[in-house]
Amino acid sequence: MDALRLDSVVKRFGDFTAVDNLSFAVAPGEVFGFLGGNGAGKTTSLRMALDILRPDAGSISVLGSAPGRTNSARLGFLPEERGLYRSMTAIDTIVYFGRLKGMAAAAARAEGHNLLERFGLGGFIKTPVDKLSKGMAQKVQLATAVVNQPRLLILDEPFSGLDPVNQGLLEDEIVRAAKGGAAVVFSTHVMQHAERLCDRLLLLARGKKLFEGTQAEARATLPVQLLLSAKASPATLNGVADARQAGTPGEWQDWEVRLAPGNDPGDLLEQCTAQGFVLRRFEQRRPSLHEVFLHIVGGAEGR
Amino acid sequence: MFQRILLVAAREFRQIAMTRSFWLTLLILPLIFALGPIASRFIDKSDTDSVMIIDQAGGATATAIRQRVEIDGQRATLDALAQYVRRHELQRADRAAIWAQQDHWYSDAEVAKFVASGGLKTALAAIGRVSKQDADGFEAPDRDYRVIDTPPALANVAPADLGKALDPYLRPDDKSNRKPVDYIVLIPHDFGASPLIRVWANGTPRGSMMTMLQGVLTPDLRTRFLAGVGVPQATGLAANAIAPVVQVTTPPPGSGRERMLIRSILPLACAYILLMSLVLSGSWMLQGTVEERSNKLLEAVLACVSPSELMYGKLAGTVAVGLSMILTWMACGAFAAYATHGAIADVIRPALAPVASIGSVVTILYFFVAGYLMVSMLFLVIGSVSNSMRDAQGYLMPVILLIMMPFMLLVQAVLRGTGGIAVEVLTWIPLYTPFTVLARLGSGIPTWEVLGSGALLGVFVLVEILLLGRVFRASLLNESSRRLPEMLRLMRQPG
Repeated sequence: MDALRLDSVVKRFGDFTAVDNLSFAVAPGEVFGFLGGNGAGKTTSLRMALDILRPDAGSISVLGSAPGRTNSARLGFLPEERGLYRSMTAIDTIVYFGRLKGMAAAAARAEGHNLLERFGLGGFIKTPVDKLSKGMAQKVQLATAVVNQPRLLILDEPFSGLDPVNQGLLEDEIVRAAKGGAAVVFSTHVMQHAERLCDRLLLLARGKKLFEGTQAEARATLPVQLLLSAKASPATLNGVADARQAGTPGEWQDWEVRLAPGNDPGDLLEQCTAQGFVLRRFEQRRPSLHEVFLHIVGGAEGR
Repeated sequence: MFQRILLVAAREFRQIAMTRSFWLTLLILPLIFALGPIASRFIDKSDTDSVMIIDQAGGATATAIRQRVEIDGQRATLDALAQYVRRHELQRADRAAIWAQQDHWYSDAEVAKFVASGGLKTALAAIGRVSKQDADGFEAPDRDYRVIDTPPALANVAPADLGKALDPYLRPDDKSNRKPVDYIVLIPHDFGASPLIRVWANGTPRGSMMTMLQGVLTPDLRTRFLAGVGVPQATGLAANAIAPVVQVTTPPPGSGRERMLIRSILPLACAYILLMSLVLSGSWMLQGTVEERSNKLLEAVLACVSPSELMYGKLAGTVAVGLSMILTWMACGAFAAYATHGAIADVIRPALAPVASIGSVVTILYFFVAGYLMVSMLFLVIGSVSNSMRDAQGYLMPVILLIMMPFMLLVQAVLRGTGGIAVEVLTWIPLYTPFTVLARLGSGIPTWEVLGSGALLGVFVLVEILLLGRVFRASLLNESSRRLPEMLRLMRQPG
């Protein structure tokens, strides 16, 4: 059973289509990245999964059920816009959210204590939120999302506004949740986090899905780039789309080579050997997710 | 669903109960009631005016005025005692006593008889034999006037110099620590031949003072006149002594206009308390809602509870805050009644009469809760469409003014016992129905009006929650403040 499944979901606000025919599925134990620029429809999609918004068309399944608060016992959610009740203590805040998710008060309190200890806030359990630093408050917010040990953890731009220490803490929690069998869906437009964490990812632009798959599959959408060092131009070799001189001109010249789509670097190396095309360097350059994003989404965003 | 509503309500209640302003408000009313009587003991609240008499005509007129002041003072005491005896049914203490008589305006002769028989002291001794507690509980009223001694130095001051000589007595120096004399009466040497006397007052003279002086001096002047035209002095004196005997019929204590007043106290207090607690707890809830919006924590809450659950929870929390305030104030009132050994209970008992039946209690509870829901919903929606308290003030002040404005009119109309068309109309305007019905319970409101206006109020609250609920739900995650036309549009959009 998928932890989260969207089938042909459409959401409109007046004349504006925020989410257009979106379908994807997330399996238990999977970390799923929901990538897109501002206004791509990420938050709207996640709000529909949480039943904060209702789709105009299509269907959504959350842990095998229709979206609704009956799922909240198995759901964790950290919104992009985060805040806490300022006059409540750290532990009371966690217990309140735990109880809203159907936990017994004692269980929520016990888990709240564990989380605060784990996040280094053991000494601030009874401190009112308005007396905590921003970083501490962010940890409390994270604790409210995971206090019920959710089977589906939805994080909307979770890294925005976090300091590097808390970013590391959040990454650890994401990995911990996934290892525990939970599906983690997080939206972001910071590719480094997605690169480190995602098993699969979905690229969204203007409400439409442009790509869904693993990171390797995403990278495969870009032409292969090679760095060669040769005495002659590799542009004449089969499968080379273009070759640009790089570095200082000399007997051995560096070349930046892009292969035409569908060509394998190994085939090119074999061709060089067979044809006696002398090489001192043959290096394949792995494209970053950022480049993949720009490649896939850039054009769509501009349209 | 119910559990989540309760959780939201409990959090709402806790958040408000943790604020300093809640506790200040909760305690300030009982404190005022408790400190009021204590403070009044430290304030010279005597209404007795001092009167100094300078009699340059021999002293007989001063003696007559002094006697009149004494008789009037004793009459007031006798009258108050008779009412007290009647209210507490103490006639059995001495059925023949003048103070056990009813329906009576006491003549001078009867007052003199009361004084001659030992006055208040003897009367209380008789009452004490049947009920010591009641005898101790009686407090004689303050007298209107008290004649003070005239300094010998003033007795023979020439009339032309008197103004200057009296000044230190009427307007004493702050350093002298003396109280000003309220009235100085001059009976000149030629009084009788001339009708002129002079009065120096420390302010605008009371009408009763002038009436009293005329009452004493007119018979004297008439007697002198009659003697001057040849009427024998005894005949003249007898003619002046003629006075009507007035029989007065009054309703039993706690009835008639007094009854209306007493019976209206508690219902009016209910209406006032409802109004005050509504405005206060509604404002606290509004602050909380604005804080939730400005703190950006609503989305996390909405992932766990539906907007409707959040709305009902907030309403329930506010009703709980209001009811807890009212219960606390009622408990303080009950404690005060117990602690004062029935003195307050004497007042409260007749006041409780109109609200003592089960039907009245249910009516009060219904209009309390309905009133709370109606006004709290307004405050809740204001909070949900405002990003800051400044935004909220734009809606809040007009709404509070709208709710409070007719209240004074209502109080005056109910206390006068004149319902009138205005009160009738207010009864049927749902925004004012709870206050008007509660206020009218004491003076009497037809059952059909209670049922009809109650039903109309119930329908209004349901429609209000339905329509404003749409605005609430649509505004929760909206980052901009909403204007009235947009709110009206949202009310028309189902779901």
